[in-house]
Amino acid sequence: MMTSEPDAPRKSIGIAWPIAITLATLFSMGVVAGYLDAMAARGRDAPSSVVGAGLVLLIGIAAMAIYVRRVGKFWESWSKRRRLYWISLGGAALIGLISSALLQSGRADVEIGALFTNSALSPSIAIALALLWSVGLAVTMAGYHRTIDDHEERAWLWAGLAGWYAFIIPAPAWWILHRAELAPPADAMLIFVFSMVVNAVVYLWLKFR
Amino acid sequence: MKNKLKVLRAMRNWSQAELADRLDVSRQAVNAIETGKYDPSLPLAFKLARLFAMPIEEIFDDAAKENHDDQ
Repeated sequence: MMTSEPDAPRKSIGIAWPIAITLATLFSMGVVAGYLDAMAARGRDAPSSVVGAGLVLLIGIAAMAIYVRRVGKFWESWSKRRRLYWISLGGAALIGLISSALLQSGRADVEIGALFTNSALSPSIAIALALLWSVGLAVTMAGYHRTIDDHEERAWLWAGLAGWYAFIIPAPAWWILHRAELAPPADAMLIFVFSMVVNAVVYLWLKFR
Repeated sequence: MKNKLKVLRAMRNWSQAELADRLDVSRQAVNAIETGKYDPSLPLAFKLARLFAMPIEEIFDDAAKENHDDQ
């Protein structure tokens, strides 16, 4: 939590353009990756869908940079806390986006559930993902949690607690049931996703209700 | 905890977003305080007091104090 003295009001910045650029980039990445995968499936020479999606991502980042440059005055009028807050959130979102793209690389079945399968990954992609998740997310989230206001901090504290219980309650119960052959082996990723969903629901409820 | 934040804000013709900017918090935080869904931390309460140039107890209604006085 960061506090500073009250000062003059700042003009609020429109978020329509950043949202439009982000959605257009994500949509275009999907279209390009799908097209390149389809070309490859037909046996035609085509660059990897990761490369294609990566290029679109670069274009999206460039578009966002141009936008930020155009509204530089708004950006400068923001407090240090607010700027670091949005940089951290943007960084975390970018890590999620890149992680999803890496997990989907080389896969023909592009669907949400495919992100959490236990299918084999190449060592290079696995190392990149592990570093991105453990180091990248830790750094961006440290910045984020240093800059949130105390209302959001409280939402996170309860959401974190709820997410924790969503892990410690089902995990041992599932494990015990499996030992009695009443359930399949505990699926760590399924429990992880459940914990994340509970965390997100509680956070969004307390932050935006 | 009840408070006079909405009245004080209206007297100055500020929107929730404007007040949030002055306090350097989110608009959701201002809304949550106004509707009594969230009690601010002590640093934020002091910031509010400085902004409105009023003691904290004039902005926030200390119901516990009334109960204590009745006893």
